[in-house]
Amino acid sequence: MSAAIEIRALRKEYKHLVAVKELSLDIEEGELFSLLGVNGAGKTTTIKMLTTLTRPTSGDALIFGKSIVSHPEEVKGLVDVSMQETAVARKLTVEENIDFYADLNGLSSEEKAAAKGEIFDAFGLAEVRAQRASTLSGGWQRKLSIALALVTRPKVLFLDEPTLGLDVLARRDLWRLISGLKGKMTIILTTHYMEEAEALSDRIGIMDKGSLRFVGSKEELYAASGKATVEDAFIELVSGGGCHA
Amino acid sequence: MRESLCRIYTLAKRNVKEIMRDPLSLIFTLGMPLAMEILFYFLFHGMTAQFDMKYLAPGIVVFSQAFLSLFAGLLIAQDRSSAFLTRLYVSRARSHEFIFGYALSMLPLVAVQSVLFFVVGGIIDPTIWSVGVLWCVLLSLVTALFYVGMGILLGSLCTEKSIGGVASIVIAGQSLLSGMWFPPDGLNGAILTIMRCLPFKNATDLMQRALAGFTGAADFFIPFAVVIAYTVVVIGGAIFAFARKMRAK
Repeated sequence: MSAAIEIRALRKEYKHLVAVKELSLDIEEGELFSLLGVNGAGKTTTIKMLTTLTRPTSGDALIFGKSIVSHPEEVKGLVDVSMQETAVARKLTVEENIDFYADLNGLSSEEKAAAKGEIFDAFGLAEVRAQRASTLSGGWQRKLSIALALVTRPKVLFLDEPTLGLDVLARRDLWRLISGLKGKMTIILTTHYMEEAEALSDRIGIMDKGSLRFVGSKEELYAASGKATVEDAFIELVSGGGCHA
Repeated sequence: MRESLCRIYTLAKRNVKEIMRDPLSLIFTLGMPLAMEILFYFLFHGMTAQFDMKYLAPGIVVFSQAFLSLFAGLLIAQDRSSAFLTRLYVSRARSHEFIFGYALSMLPLVAVQSVLFFVVGGIIDPTIWSVGVLWCVLLSLVTALFYVGMGILLGSLCTEKSIGGVASIVIAGQSLLSGMWFPPDGLNGAILTIMRCLPFKNATDLMQRALAGFTGAADFFIPFAVVIAYTVVVIGGAIFAFARKMRAK
């Protein structure tokens, strides 16, 4: 497999804060990579830089060979994101939301119809297609929000806390959907839920205070920390020493 | 270029749906001004010239446009406060495309406003019917751009919670500084000078003079130039403010 994302010494400084410190990391094509960390660890800032929402202070990242610094417009055509808050047009119907996002991204009628069919099938949204987004439950709104990120068939999908605030059934439902996407595209997932990372990830990265403390598979994480679960290993690494697999 | 126009059209189409599906925006931009036009005519007609239909109808058109500042601003502030706009920033749409998408989405409502208020005004007082009505409908698109631009600027700067209060200053400005509810000639010189320097009275004068028939080039060009100058400033400011917020995301 080749690297879908090559991050090189990526750094983001705000006025009184260094949010991300010289982050370097390769993520393979088709991989589901989970980025874990407590609040303020730098996960969302990293995603914002990789999706061109914010410019790095220094360093660079290549998405399928395109630089987020020098070719952000080309990167935009390769990635999509589902942010931690639900991001839908509330007064539009489910179908109108999908049509709007497809049109904004310049999909042809055929591409739009194909994308809509796939999304309706995978997410079960056909039954609520004529409902306004504002009338959907939180779980359905989040499903629609993630579904919109798939309209453009991105090569890299960023999921920032996709199940935050959802009940356990809705969360498991989204896990099933995310699992179904594995292998079809490269997925970067940030989450606070350790069991989510444990269930879905090919590899895990642990960020703490803007730095990457660990990168490796679950098994490597257990071995490096001497713990038997991702949660215990995470606590050990973040509150204790650091290690790189 | 074609891609950019398609994105502007797509954004505008979505915004039109958002506005038309909000009952409050229709009540404030159409219902309330219409009720004021009818009530004020029948209550105050003959007391001052302001309530003759030839002044009242064009005045109400501009007054109703001031509410566009509120609803354009509210739409942008709501979009900004949610992750929806963040999602759109990841698309290839540029800041000026967002601005034109918001601005264009208001124009169908502007056209409905001016046609509605002139048709109702013309039914109440048929003497207003003239070619001036057509001029007014056309010029209302120009004056509306100032208020929509102001809404976009405020929506780019204010939060969802503060936009209502700040936009109400524009509505109050239109009410108090346009001279549409009382004869401005009786005011002291300083206030009248301020009114002439601001866009509110000029927008109202432009529409009222268009309906009456312009008596000379200055009659048209002075208020037109003032409104256009303010429009360019607020739309330029809106693009700048919106682009800054985009980068800040």
